[in-house]
Amino acid sequence: MLSFIARRVASGIVLVIAISVIAFALLYAGGGDIARRMLGEDASPETVAQKATELGLDQPLTQQFLTWASGLIRGDLGTSWFTSQPVSDAILSRLSVTLSLVFGAIVVVAFASVILGTLAATRRGWIDTAVQVLSLLATAIPAFLVALGLVLVFAVNLGWFKPTGYVQFTDSPAGWLSSITLPITALALGGIAGVTQQIRGSMIDSLRGDYVRTLRSRGLNAPSVLFQHVLRNAAGPGLAVLGVQFVGLIGGAVIIEQIFAIPGMGQVAVTATSQGDIPLVMGLVVVTAILVVILNLLVDLAQGWLNPKVRLS
Amino acid sequence: MFTFKKRIAALVSAMAITALALSGCAGAGPDSDESSAESTQGTGTLTIGTIVASTTFAANNAPWSNESPYLQAVYDTLLHAEPDGTVVPWLATDWSYNDDMTVLTLNLRDDVTFTDGTKFDASAAAQNLLRFRDGTSPQKGYLATLADAKAVDATTLELTLNSPNPSLLSFLTQNPGLQQSPATFDAADEKTNPVGSGPYILDTKATVVGSAYVFTKNPDYWAPESQHYAKVVMNVYTTPTAVLNALKGGQINGAPVSDSAMIAQLEPAGLTVQTQQLNFFGLLLFDRDGAIEPALADVRVRQAINYAFDRKALLESVGQGNGKVTSSIFSPDSSGYVKDLDDFYSYDPEKAEELLAEAGYAAGDITLKMPTSSGFAPATYALVKQYLSDVGINVEEVGVTPTSFLSDLLAAKYASTVMMLKTAPTSWETVTLDLLPSSGWNPFRVKDATVAELAATIQSGTEEEAEAAAKELNEYIVEQAWFAPWYRPDLNYATDAKTSVEPQSGNSYPYLWNFVPKQ
Repeated sequence: MLSFIARRVASGIVLVIAISVIAFALLYAGGGDIARRMLGEDASPETVAQKATELGLDQPLTQQFLTWASGLIRGDLGTSWFTSQPVSDAILSRLSVTLSLVFGAIVVVAFASVILGTLAATRRGWIDTAVQVLSLLATAIPAFLVALGLVLVFAVNLGWFKPTGYVQFTDSPAGWLSSITLPITALALGGIAGVTQQIRGSMIDSLRGDYVRTLRSRGLNAPSVLFQHVLRNAAGPGLAVLGVQFVGLIGGAVIIEQIFAIPGMGQVAVTATSQGDIPLVMGLVVVTAILVVILNLLVDLAQGWLNPKVRLS
Repeated sequence: MFTFKKRIAALVSAMAITALALSGCAGAGPDSDESSAESTQGTGTLTIGTIVASTTFAANNAPWSNESPYLQAVYDTLLHAEPDGTVVPWLATDWSYNDDMTVLTLNLRDDVTFTDGTKFDASAAAQNLLRFRDGTSPQKGYLATLADAKAVDATTLELTLNSPNPSLLSFLTQNPGLQQSPATFDAADEKTNPVGSGPYILDTKATVVGSAYVFTKNPDYWAPESQHYAKVVMNVYTTPTAVLNALKGGQINGAPVSDSAMIAQLEPAGLTVQTQQLNFFGLLLFDRDGAIEPALADVRVRQAINYAFDRKALLESVGQGNGKVTSSIFSPDSSGYVKDLDDFYSYDPEKAEELLAEAGYAAGDITLKMPTSSGFAPATYALVKQYLSDVGINVEEVGVTPTSFLSDLLAAKYASTVMMLKTAPTSWETVTLDLLPSSGWNPFRVKDATVAELAATIQSGTEEEAEAAAKELNEYIVEQAWFAPWYRPDLNYATDAKTSVEPQSGNSYPYLWNFVPKQ
């Protein structure tokens, strides 16, 4: 197991380095005249040149990358060109917001998918059909449309929730719930559809398995068969899908944070990328890549924890 | 040994706890419970929406316009501007010029202290001005003619200019006039932790940089009557939809509304929308000497282009009817504004064809290479192509990325382009930004004797002479068709029922002290 973890960590490091190099090159390829964009249309060419020098943009590209990379090794991600904030501070303050949004969504996805998938697989009939249709709808409707609809109905018209912004849990638990409920709902719907289908399919397969017939013939009651054996076997594939969903949810959070004006990583990523705020974008790229590597590792470990057969394989 | 159910429960609980814990670690966000303006002056909270984050609080590098609210909260300026642009005393109580307008002497207040305890005096003011001149603010050119700034005594500041600057007093009401504590010059955190003598202090703990900026009242402020609120919150919104939702949801007291189509949704919701016009939209005809497009050297061709456009139709289709058609680039707030010039060029394609024929060009002879950017609606370019093609001028579109669009224009790569530029609040600013060989928006460095002569009068003449010259210059530029403006689009600012505000002449945001809770 230790060698498995070591291999995954090593490949993760290689991945992060490769992504950093590619991201840096792409950012400069589409970067244009960043100093000009920072200063706007009124600035004189001399001021623009002065700003470019101040930012180190007059250095060769490789030199700029090496400067950035050496800072990264020392734990210094630089300073945002467009907010003057240290990149590490910007990311840390926003990472927690995005993770609470994504974790909240994943909890909702996990709960709802287990309940709906189990109901659909065991009851079948109209319940199964309803779950299938709803899943199809949830998959088909883009998250941003769901978000806009939710804001309009439940925040602007009914006033039940906050239409924009984010409140810390420590400042006001009620305010936190009010600010996060709609974004989590919008973010989770697509995930629920995907994971529910996976759990439903896996459970139906398991319920048809010989071991279920054997367990029933030994007199085990239905809930024990269902929850201790069938759901356990179905949980592995479900968890794998949930892991993929987690990564997808981080991407989905970009749009949701824009719509709800939530100060998370997604919001800052969109702004920083469109502005060409290279230090901030690079910081976001590195942190996100590390996050995904860690997440995949955790999913593998969780699968092994839930199902010993995976550990053997 | 955990059972399977317990394991699932433990896993889910751990995730939930982590989520809660992480949310608790997050930076502060605005609390809408406090966002409403209260009726008691100086005690409530003003929450406004902004469309950009603060790039820097370092006064020497600070921009203005969209970032003016952040800077006005924490810094005083040497002078203030009334909503109509009239310059009035502030840190400087009175001022006078010498005869040739190259030495400006200002008398300063002696009762002002920065929030770090440093005393404000003429030396601090001189240091701030020189530092701004040498910094990297987009508007550093406003002090380009400042040769020196020195403290005659603690309350007397003397500015020496290389040449007269008729807009200097107006500039001292903006970012060139910002006063930062000299003790914090070059401090490691000066860009994010401002120290001024202004009405508010940035609460760095409650602020989420780039998203929500929280300011608390400066308890020792020397002009408490201008502190209309105890707390000011500025939320950054990156999409018009988020601004709309925040306004309709009652989370903010005011915000700019960039999409005029949204106004119809705001007024029924009890919000007041005020409009002003700070830009002009249309074609810029840079290459008036024909350096890369010889046809544009002929004034008849430039006039033909002006006659080719149906400005009213463009305002309706592109501008959704929100704005005012014009043929001039001068602001209605400036001394050079001449109302009749708004209608100088009518839509007359036949006249355009005649002018082109007189200049010796047949249909299809002229092809203008124009850059296109995703910053403007594709329909705009289609209309330009159609209108010009109707009079016999071809347009070759060149796709340019938004990231290099501005640089390409200013680097004289194109003879003409679709663009929106500001209509400066003073005539001298229009001259320096757009018309002189040294102007940024004269990238081909076109020289014109009449422009130079009139500009000199605007710069050094008496007030009456300068105003007459500005009007004459405006007429000359329109007749010479240096530009082909279509209209001045409306800029909208919405406020809720609890807040009253006056728009600021020449600035996209009302000045902070113009916000007052409704009684």
